[in-house]
This record gives sequence, structure tokens and C-alpha cells, in this order.
Amino acid sequence: MSQSVIWVDGVTKRFSGHTAVKDLSLEVPQGAVFGLLGPNGAGKTTTIRMIMDIIRPDEGRVVLFGGAGTGRDLSARIGYLPEERGLYPKMQVLGQLAFLAEIKGLSRREAMRLGREWLERLGLGEWIDKKVEDLSKGMQQKVQFIGTLMHDPDLVILDEPFSGLDPVNTQVMKDVVVDFARRGKTVVFSTHIMEQAERMCDHIAIIARGEKIVDGRLTDIKAKYGKSHLALEFVSNRAQAVPILQDRSLFLSVDDYGASAEGEMAPGVDGDTVLRALVSAGVGLSRFEVVEPSLQKIFIAEVGDTAITAAREPGDA
Amino acid sequence: MHKLWAVIRREFSARVRTKSFVITTVLGPLLLAGLMLVPGLLLMSKSSGRHIVIVDGGDRGLGQTAQTTLRTKFPEHYTFEVMVFPTGETERVESLISRIDAPSETAGASIDGVVILNPEMLAEDRIAYYGSNVSSMSDMSDLRRGLREALVAERLAELGVNLTLVQEASRPFSFTTERVADGKLTGESGEASFALAYAMAFLLYMALLLYGVQVMSAVVEEKSNRLNEVLVSSLSPFELLFGKIIGVGSAALVQLGLWVGTAMMLTTFRGEIASVFGVPETAVMAVPIPTVSPALLVVSLLFFMLGFLLYSSAYAAVGAMCNTMQETQQASLPVTLVVIIGFFTVFNVLNDPAGSTARIFSLIPLFAPLIVPVRYSLNPLGVGELLVAAFSTLLGAIVVAWFAGRIYRVGILAHGKRPKIKELVNWVKAG
Repeated sequence: MSQSVIWVDGVTKRFSGHTAVKDLSLEVPQGAVFGLLGPNGAGKTTTIRMIMDIIRPDEGRVVLFGGAGTGRDLSARIGYLPEERGLYPKMQVLGQLAFLAEIKGLSRREAMRLGREWLERLGLGEWIDKKVEDLSKGMQQKVQFIGTLMHDPDLVILDEPFSGLDPVNTQVMKDVVVDFARRGKTVVFSTHIMEQAERMCDHIAIIARGEKIVDGRLTDIKAKYGKSHLALEFVSNRAQAVPILQDRSLFLSVDDYGASAEGEMAPGVDGDTVLRALVSAGVGLSRFEVVEPSLQKIFIAEVGDTAITAAREPGDA
Repeated sequence: MHKLWAVIRREFSARVRTKSFVITTVLGPLLLAGLMLVPGLLLMSKSSGRHIVIVDGGDRGLGQTAQTTLRTKFPEHYTFEVMVFPTGETERVESLISRIDAPSETAGASIDGVVILNPEMLAEDRIAYYGSNVSSMSDMSDLRRGLREALVAERLAELGVNLTLVQEASRPFSFTTERVADGKLTGESGEASFALAYAMAFLLYMALLLYGVQVMSAVVEEKSNRLNEVLVSSLSPFELLFGKIIGVGSAALVQLGLWVGTAMMLTTFRGEIASVFGVPETAVMAVPIPTVSPALLVVSLLFFMLGFLLYSSAYAAVGAMCNTMQETQQASLPVTLVVIIGFFTVFNVLNDPAGSTARIFSLIPLFAPLIVPVRYSLNPLGVGELLVAAFSTLLGAIVVAWFAGRIYRVGILAHGKRPKIKELVNWVKAG
């Protein structure tokens, strides 16, 4: 427990009769890049707000850095980018950043120095004394991001950090986050984009309907699902592959993307059997690989399940 | 403390750096000077050269008496002309009326009005006036006074009273007033102390509304720009709220300080300033200017600050309930109404600064911030009463700020529909 940066212990939060988060427990180890995944309305933001002590859990507790205080007490060590984020439109960029760092406890002088440094680093050096409202949306997002990270926190919590970002900014921010992780800092972010999480995270938790479905190291979770998946890419005679992919004695399920497909093989079937069938049907393949399931696949499998079970439990809408 | 200071500084500089702050700071004294000068200018621009015809339909020379009286009373502003003919001759009356305010090319000179002294109407104690200037209060009161004197003189003569004796007996006298405070003469006339009290009430009322609404709009601005969650992750809602109140309050004090300072400079050096503009110094010095004692300044400052704490936190709570400025216009009405009620109570207090209304309202925290300074300027309260009023206001401000803080804390993170009373109660109760 001593190496857990965040320990969420059985928290429950209800809003006027509706349970947003139900008996949820999480542990985020020191130095992890932790993805909090879930469909919209799963309770990700509520969980993060409870971690930050912006709202209090009805039951359970949150322990940060082994019990040193609440999210607000420790704001000097935490960088938080909420889902609801904005800036003072009439304030100058540098003044804005200095203020954001000052309320984390930095001195004004230090805050100004760091603000200048970061603005230069992210290519906003010319905009230092412009008003925030004169900046493009993308530039404002960068300023927001600098405001979250400039005080060099030990723990970074980002709620849907990539939503609404253009590809260039997504890249910039991803690089900054990866750099933080490389320096041994802990990063937690929520997203509903699985590819992103799969590429960046070493730990994940999937939540749906306020409950945790899966959590742990990404590699462990994937290993649990085993090497029973096939990744295929087609070059010719795509049509001949269809009956094979639809053969339920070979595949339990298939995600067909057209030029490629991912399928979960039925128990007892091995890769060779499928490969022989495809080759003898004359299908041209550029990729044939036995793989771990993608996070997307795990996610849909798990969240789809609870959607059904949750529907069977009335009174917990 | 460091964080609170950062919030105060941000809020203060955000207020002070706006164009509207600079403009109101500069224009405030000009407006005030204007408010003082305009009534004077209006008095000076009093009608001049009014030409009024008195039609006397009787045979006792009343028209002549009226003309003499009016001429002696108002030698500068009017010229009077008497025509004696029976008022039954309607065409002659009508032709006179047609000359009122007529373009110069019409036959006969243009006149401003006609007084009709008709024996039948006089028997019923009535005099009629037709004119273009009937809406001028000062003209009408001049005419009424002059005609009244003429009529009284005529009636007395009719009763056989010696007119010289009557005139001797009804000699006018001048009524000078001077305010006494703490048993000492202040050298202030009644008009001057009334002017001071009224100006103070008006300034305090404007300041409470103006800066209270600024706090409200600052709250709504943060809410509509989705800043609150970023802020609340580092700051407690109470640091945020009180930083805002203190920041806006300091900007208010700076602005009020500049205004009061300018006003004091202008009045102290008004003689010198006047002579620069070629106005005789003595004329300016003759205008009564009330003195503002340091004690009055301290009392006003104290009660303004208490009132500001009370009203700005109430306005902040309203801001936290709303999502846009448009919504606040309706939602802030109850708070604004209370300030307005306080302002209207001031008029009662001006008449009777030590009366029971004044005493009771001084103890109600919602009204004391306006009432106590006004009372103090007219008739200083005893130390005991002042302390009780200050403490009850402080207590009231703390209670209002506490409730406002509870509402603010929940409201800044709540988006969507404005809460109903029941939900507000839940907000206040929430853990």
C-alpha cells in the first residue's frame, strides 16, 4: 500500500437517488500510467472528482500519497485537468498561468519564470502578453495544459485530456505526458478512446454503470484473455473469407473491418486450422497473427456483459 | 494565506484594469460636480423677459395693483401689461390668446401668457391663467404669489384696513439654520447638512449595488467559463469566495477613495480653482459646503465594509445559482430590493434622525449600513448605540456570508437549471 499513490477504498456516490459510483476500489501504483476507461456516464468523472476531494463520497474513502491529506491539501503535488475546464478570457496568458501556479502554492516570481519557460517550450512565446480570448482554441488548450503541469506535480490526473484536441495538440500533449511518466511521475487519465489507452497505459481500470469491471496491469489483463485471437489483413479474394469468418465452429465472434478483421477463435480451434481453411478458399492474406485481444475487444466484451446484468437489476438505474 | 492573497490580487487587478473602472473613476467626480451644478444652473437659467398681459374685467383697478405688486417683486424676469376691458368680450380674449407663443410675423407682439381677472370668477375666489409656461414651477409660483399679495391687499383695503400698517406688519424675515452636534455649533447650515447626508446615502447605496453586482458577475464569469473545477481543486470555495469579495472590495475602496479625495481637494481649493476660471472667489466660498469629520469618515467606512460583506456575499450566492448574466438579472431582484428599501428608509431618517424608525433600522443588519452613516452625519449616535449597531451588522453579515458560502460551494459546480428553494436548503445542509 505504501507505494500506492492513489488508494480508492470502496467508495459510493449517489446523486438524488441515482448511484453514480458503487463500491468502487482502485489502486494506482507509484510511477504508473493508469487509464480509467469506461463508456460515457460510467462514473469516471465522479470517481476523479472524489479522488480530488471536489465531491465527497457517501461511503468509502480516498487515500492519496499514503494518507498525507486531501486532493486540495496536496494540490502542490497534483496536476489536475478537469473535464470542465476553462480560462479567464480577459486575462493575459502569462498572468493566467502565474495565477494557476500561485494557487498551487508557488511564489509569484517562480510562477512567472515557469510560465515563460513552458510557453516558449510549447511554441507560445509570442503570445505571452496577449489576452486568452485572442488565442485560438488549440492554443487555449495548450495554455490549459501548461497550467495543469507547470508546477511539476508528482501525480497528474487528466479527465478526458484528449477530447476536442486537434491531432497536433494531441501529439504535443501525449509527448508531455509520456515525459512525465518517464521521470517516474504517476499519470492517471480517463478516456473512452481505447486505442489511446492501449498505446499509453501500463495499468487500466474499466468501469461501467459506476462499478469496476476489470483492473490491473494491461499485460496481465490481456494474458488472462489468452492468445485466442486472430488478426487478419486481406489483399485479395476478400469475399471468399466471409463464410469462414461466419463459421461459428471456428470463431466465437469477429470484428470485421473490411480490409482487416479481428476474431476470437472457438475453444479447441487453433490458428493452423483457420489458416488452412483461408488458403484453400483462395483468400490472399498480408497478415495472419495469433494475438492477445485488443483493449477495444476486451472493453466491448466486458461492458456489453454488465449492460445486460445491470438491466436485470431494477432500482439501480 | 498565500493562496487567498493570489485570489485577491487577481480579482483586484481584473477589476482595476477594465476600461469601465478607469472611466467611472474619472467620470464619477465630474458627474457629482454636475449633480451639484445643474440645480444651480437651472435656477440661473430661470425665465427671463416673460411678457404677460393682465386682463382686468373689473372696475376696481385690481389689474393695476397686481401689475405694481408683480413688478416690485420680480423686476427682472417679467414685463407686465394691463388691459382693462370686460372679460365677456370673448373675441378680444381669444385674439390675446392667439398671440401666446405666436411666430413673430403674426399681428401684434408675441406674449407668454394672459391672466384673466374676471369679477364673477373672483367672486368664487378664482383667477385663470393661460400661457405657454404653465409647466414652469417657478413661473407659476411667482405669479401665484404676486397675485395673491395683490388680491389680499385689495381685500384688506375693501375692509378699510390701512395698507401701510399691513405692509409694515408682514415684513419678511430671514430664517438662518445651523446644525448643532454634540452640543457644539458646527457652522453648517441646514441645507448643507441635508446635502451631505443625502449625498452619503446616495453614494453608499450606489456603491453597495454597483460593487455587489460586480462580485456576482465575477462569480458567473467563472462559472460560465468553466473555471471553477480548476480553481476548486487548489482552493477551498471559501478562499475563492472571500478572495473575490476582498478583491472587489479593495477595488471599490480605491475608487471611492479617489472620489472622496478628489471631492475634498476640489472643495478645499475651490476658491483658488474658481479664480483660475475667472469666477470671483467670494462667490464660490459663499456656497455652503458641509465639513466631513474624520469620525464620520471612519463610521461610514466601517459600515460600508460591513454592508459590502453582507450584500456581496448574498450577490455571490445568487451568481452561484445562475449560469448566465441574463439569469442573474431576475434572480438578484430580492437582494436589490432590500438595498432599495434601505435607501427609501433614508428619507424618513433625514427628517427625524433620532426617531424610532431611525433607531430600529439602525439595528437591522440589512439596513444599518445605509442608515447609520446617514444618521451619524446628521446627529452623531452615542458610542453605545454605535457599537450595538456595528456588532449586530457584523453578526448579520457573518450569518448571511455563512449561508451564501454554503450555497456558493455547491452552486459553482452545479450546471443546468436554477435551484428551487427546496434544493437551496439541501445545498446549505449538504455536508
